[in-house]
Amino acid sequence: MLQKPYAEKKFNSDNGIFYKKLVTKIPDLIFQLSLSPTGDLSSPFLNKAVINYFELSRQELRNFDLSQRIVPDDFQKLLSSIQSLDKNTDFWSHEFRAILPTKGLRWFKAVANVERDIYNYISLYGRISDITEEKQRDIELKISEERFQFAMEASSNGIWDLDLRTGKVFFSPQSLRILELTQDDVIDTNEKWDERIHPDDLEKYLKDFNMHIKSETDYFENAKRMKTKSGNYKWILSSGKIIERDKNGLPTRLTGTHTDITSQKENETAILKNSQIINEQNSRLLNFAHIVSHNLSSHTGNFKMLLDLIETENDSETVLEIFEHLKTSSNALNQTIEHLKELVDINTHMVHKKENLDLNLYLNKVLGILSEEISNNKVKIFKQIPKKCNIAFNPSYLESILLNFTTNAIKYSHPDRTPEIYYSMRKEDGKCVLEIKDNGLGIDLEKHGRKLFGMYKTFHKNKNSRGIGLFITKNQIESMGGNIEVESKTNIGTTFKIFFSNEV
Amino acid sequence: MKFNDVFVVDDDKIFHFIIKKLLLNNNINVTPKFFENGLLAIEGIKSKMDRGENPPDLILLDINMPILDGWQFLEEFKIIKDKLAKEIIIYIVSSSDNQSDMSKANEYQDEVKDYYLKPMTAEDLKTIFSYPA
Repeated sequence: MLQKPYAEKKFNSDNGIFYKKLVTKIPDLIFQLSLSPTGDLSSPFLNKAVINYFELSRQELRNFDLSQRIVPDDFQKLLSSIQSLDKNTDFWSHEFRAILPTKGLRWFKAVANVERDIYNYISLYGRISDITEEKQRDIELKISEERFQFAMEASSNGIWDLDLRTGKVFFSPQSLRILELTQDDVIDTNEKWDERIHPDDLEKYLKDFNMHIKSETDYFENAKRMKTKSGNYKWILSSGKIIERDKNGLPTRLTGTHTDITSQKENETAILKNSQIINEQNSRLLNFAHIVSHNLSSHTGNFKMLLDLIETENDSETVLEIFEHLKTSSNALNQTIEHLKELVDINTHMVHKKENLDLNLYLNKVLGILSEEISNNKVKIFKQIPKKCNIAFNPSYLESILLNFTTNAIKYSHPDRTPEIYYSMRKEDGKCVLEIKDNGLGIDLEKHGRKLFGMYKTFHKNKNSRGIGLFITKNQIESMGGNIEVESKTNIGTTFKIFFSNEV
Repeated sequence: MKFNDVFVVDDDKIFHFIIKKLLLNNNINVTPKFFENGLLAIEGIKSKMDRGENPPDLILLDINMPILDGWQFLEEFKIIKDKLAKEIIIYIVSSSDNQSDMSKANEYQDEVKDYYLKPMTAEDLKTIFSYPA
């Protein structure tokens, strides 16, 4: 490198002192680089700001080489970027890293005009800026974007971003996937999303949303059912928050997440159903405890009082009479215990064997058993039960229930008219309902409704009333997952409706 | 002795016997009338009224009975009690120690004087028949 570069000579000779001072002393980092045809890079001019910024000592300046400061890798790249400059290009820009004695590793960007002289020297005139902070921000942003992108794709949660001014929404692929949708379905506005919300959940959803828009809540949260592409409903939890407001403080942008909480909700429903079953069983248990305590204590009370009397009784005939009463009480107690045992059997073996039973078959069987009573009382029987009408029930319970309702209808028939019993089967709310209707005495439900199915309750002046049948019947039906309803009018008749559970 | 005309309303015939014996053994000189359910007892009161007789002085009332139970009897009694020539003292005598029955009795404070739990003792009967001392 014997020849002084053309550009430098030109600078020194042609420009006045003013320009020299200006260029040398302004705080911008001004430089001139020169590349010889043999590939040597030199820096004929560096202004004071460069020298200070790059922390170059006088000593270093004397035979300064750019590679002393620039990271070796980056120096090679810088060199080749100048070498590969196109002949027609008059602009050069390059980013590189330099290691500075006290400032450490910094990122720089150099921009320069390109000139070529007749000796094939390339000269670059330009300035350098420290872009370390920008670079760092870029890198951090890139990392965070990558992280976000990863989170968005990997997470089962969807992400949404709503522009309130346009009503346009960005839904992440996962948001769409929850509803079995893709980008092709073009769900890009709030309306298109909202129209998939279950009608019963829409009002609460809009209320929750508007409360946050009005800043009444710190964040928006709402769980609702939404229709998927295949037409099923899923439970979706939306959470979000206003992240941008205009100069008047009005919200302009909201972002948040979508979570599929269907299985969670299904669990909740299952737990609720279980707790209902438990509550039901508890109340039946309590009811049973009352029945036991009441029915047993009325007998034991008699024992106590009768034994008290015997102690002080001298008349032998009266003593015998008391013994007779004790015997009666003892028999009644045995009977009660039998009934309670039956009740325990029904209620404790919750998993009774259910079978698919042909209702016609069982009804005919029961009517056969009762044929003598039916003909003696001239009872007219009407049946409207479809052929092959099957119900899932315990066979002996079904027989006992049909027997009970039929004998009741005969027992409480109206003295002034021919007894009629109608049996019919139909569907109500998807459940099989057996209706047994009579034209008998009827029951005053206002008076007796609450105790109709109670133990030892009778309502008619009938010598054969024991008040156990309906009670056992109700327990049998309920233990099979069904229920029973009654309609009745005094002197008109009674209709019992038995609802069967479909589960086998 | 204040109570001369006494109704015992209970479907248990053994209890009828016991009451008779207890009264006899304790020298309470009264011959109660027995009714097996609430309806018969109401009819008994009404027929007394129809004949222009005084209503009974005292009623011992069971709760669990067929046709009209103790509560239903009290409902019917409420309707006619203003037409009665004099007040009737009513005691519930039941084997039910069920809390719901106890608190239900409180709803009939104007009609029911007290609640006795079976088995009934001679002492209980003496207390009832010594009222007012």
